Amino acid sequence: MNSLTVTIKNDTTEIPRLAGLIEQFGEKNELPQKVVFYVNLALDEVLTNVISYGYEDDQQHDITVDLTLEERVLTTLIWDDGEPFNPIIAQEPDVELPIDERPVGGLGLLLVKRMMDQVEYRRIGERNCLSLRKKLET
Amino acid sequence: MNVTERNEGNVVVLQLQGRLDGNTAKDFEDKLVAAIDKGKHHVALDLSNLDYVSSAGLRVMLIGAKRIKATGGKFVLTSMHPNVKEVFDISGFTGIFDITSTLDQALGSFPK
Repeated sequence: MNSLTVTIKNDTTEIPRLAGLIEQFGEKNELPQKVVFYVNLALDEVLTNVISYGYEDDQQHDITVDLTLEERVLTTLIWDDGEPFNPIIAQEPDVELPIDERPVGGLGLLLVKRMMDQVEYRRIGERNCLSLRKKLET
Repeated sequence: MNVTERNEGNVVVLQLQGRLDGNTAKDFEDKLVAAIDKGKHHVALDLSNLDYVSSAGLRVMLIGAKRIKATGGKFVLTSMHPNVKEVFDISGFTGIFDITSTLDQALGSFPK
């Protein structure tokens, strides 16, 4: 199996359930433990942002996560039907600042950008699509 | 996630077990802030049983560090799993915390 699609509700308690499914996918495809860890953490950060800030109503929404492994590249797509929101243009925190001056927040997307090789956002119709690419070392 | 608390002399040791993420960070923050507000200004965070941390967890660590610094106390993180250490490295947090490999080293670093 080299692809996985999971639909979750817009509820952060779904994130550990998703992580379990991705770990299984990782085992079946012999992905390095580090890659699975990075993908799960990146998904946690993105999904937490989407769930917390992406919707203006308090309805239940579906979020779809697609993983595809092809020629040593793992591509993760996150589709949601929330408000238009491009996380890539959010500001990076200054990690050189001493502890007193550092604002508390903004870290999640920094982690995503540093753990993934490529992060791309597109708005397609009524949905946001965030793509995360990770190359597997040969 | 479980947070257990015990005293080692003038240091309070908080041990985290499980996953520190958006769902569990608030509970950890409440316990950490409660300990500091009770007068525990020397805090060692034993992370030997923590296998996952997200930015939500890092935020609570930062909040704890700022509060303890304001009291003149000391905050040391210890016994990180490699994945957890990596998150600290990637985020630049390694440089701003006191981090030791073992709890003994951590306890030895506090003023008597």
